[in-house]
Amino acid sequence: MRIRAQRDDLADVLVRANRAVGTRTALPVLQGLLCEVAGSILRVTGTDLDMTVTTSAEVDVLEEGRVVIPGRLLTEAVRKMPAGQVTIGVKDNDVEIEGNGPRFTVRPLTIDDFPVLDDVVVDGVEVDGEALAEAVGQVTIAASSDGARPILTGVLFESSEAGLRMVATDSYRLAKKDLAGVGLEGTGLVPARGLRELPRTIGSSKVTAQLGDREAVFSSDKGMLRLRLIDGSFPKYQSLLPDTYPNQVILEKEALLDALGRVALVAEDHIPVRLKLTDGGVEVTVSRQDVGGETEHLEGEFSGTDEEVTIAFNPRYLQEGVTVISGDSIRIRVIDGFKPSVLDDGGEGDYIYLLMPVRV
Amino acid sequence: MRLVIARCTVDYSGRLDAHLPEAVRLIMVKADGTLAIHSDGNASKPLNWMVSPNVLETSDDRWVVSNKKGERLTITLHEIIQDVTHNLGDDPGLVKDGVEDHLQALLADKPWILEEGLTLIRREFPTDIGPVDLLCADANGVTVAVEVKRRGDIDGVEQLARYIERLDNDSRLAPVRGILTAQSIAPQAIVLAEARGIEAVEIDYDGLKEAEDTELRLFSIR
Repeated sequence: MRIRAQRDDLADVLVRANRAVGTRTALPVLQGLLCEVAGSILRVTGTDLDMTVTTSAEVDVLEEGRVVIPGRLLTEAVRKMPAGQVTIGVKDNDVEIEGNGPRFTVRPLTIDDFPVLDDVVVDGVEVDGEALAEAVGQVTIAASSDGARPILTGVLFESSEAGLRMVATDSYRLAKKDLAGVGLEGTGLVPARGLRELPRTIGSSKVTAQLGDREAVFSSDKGMLRLRLIDGSFPKYQSLLPDTYPNQVILEKEALLDALGRVALVAEDHIPVRLKLTDGGVEVTVSRQDVGGETEHLEGEFSGTDEEVTIAFNPRYLQEGVTVISGDSIRIRVIDGFKPSVLDDGGEGDYIYLLMPVRV
Repeated sequence: MRLVIARCTVDYSGRLDAHLPEAVRLIMVKADGTLAIHSDGNASKPLNWMVSPNVLETSDDRWVVSNKKGERLTITLHEIIQDVTHNLGDDPGLVKDGVEDHLQALLADKPWILEEGLTLIRREFPTDIGPVDLLCADANGVTVAVEVKRRGDIDGVEQLARYIERLDNDSRLAPVRGILTAQSIAPQAIVLAEARGIEAVEIDYDGLKEAEDTELRLFSIR
């Protein structure tokens, strides 16, 4: 195999495929990138078996072939080459990476050890890439990173009346997003860790999505992202969504985020932020015995059956939810200090963020 | 990791001379070069071994392991019954259950186990002589320093007394009282703790793990 291409073009396809390469993996070959050259195309594949990224670029092909090259070294070597053309080729059982002077000699990994990936027939539904990326960002914040409960590390994909529904929960919060008009068939639990890589690996204005029995496949003109589905039953989330909310307040999003930024100066994860909803808005308070506290009033429209209601939240969870809600306003709907509150943009939006309070 | 089950004889020379007569044994060669010869007994201890760094030279019927100390292990292979090589990957290390760190984490989540109304201010609260495991506040807002041990002894009491003395110098925290907590506490430590005004609380580690989670969740995760 031997190819030649502009450094930046090569670096782009390598960096994106390398995002699937695990740094700690049982199989040494999984630390490598499979580079396949045929016709005028270089195809690069990285995988940790749960997530597979394939990218491709048109290059000058001097000799066709296949080789597995240590991913991090290859990617960094190309990135650090002087600007201009870079050549990658196999010579005397080694891989040579050359560009305007510098020349790396790299031992390839055993190509026969590289996992054989099933062929995929791209036959999904087309989704607006920016809308999908936004939805991924809005939903994956609520997914757990606790590997002991794999089901909670996934994002449920299912069809809804509106189109595609995506739901994630870590048991303290739940994010639900409807992507209207996306007629994706099937149901599956897609790993949030891999989904977060979607915008960075194959993000584009149009993305094709498909759900199989074992994997979700996203493809675009930038490449393909394949994510192995998580086995198990997702919690029955519909029953968690309250029917009525006796109290609500509408706040300016930027003002609330600014206030939560100030709260974060005092609070740590386990120090709750208290919101007292009352006429005229919200009193935000945080107090930590060994440091001190902070309090402020935020103007807002309060309406409710109670004169005032106080509720406390994990400040990070609250801040993350507010951040991903689109629009200029945040509506917080509250039952009481022990039941889940719902945050949204105040309209008939397609996104809600359900957040459990903290007992104080 | 290479595992060879073979009928072999073994000769060691070095600090002493030793000979293992012909028999079927397991020869284990680890990725770091360590070689060990096991019989089907002798618990976990090998019959003979050479730790790395060493040099292993192999031929069809003879392996020789040597090191810079002049030790030499010669394995004569009469019959190879199994020869398996497998990459075990990265070792995540030994995870011990019940060590102080885990106890500390569990108590940080559920400080009220120690005393009703106790809430966490901070884990590993720094003082100029070292961090206090847990700094808490009791139901009346009084600061409580908690030292977590697997086994409570006199040293633990003295350590906590020193922390309390340092924390009492901080006007934002004073007055500070202390709780020494462990799975078991020595009688002498309990006597000394009482004398120092420190409470000694034994905790049931398994019970602590099972203790009802009072964090509010959207649904049960058990």
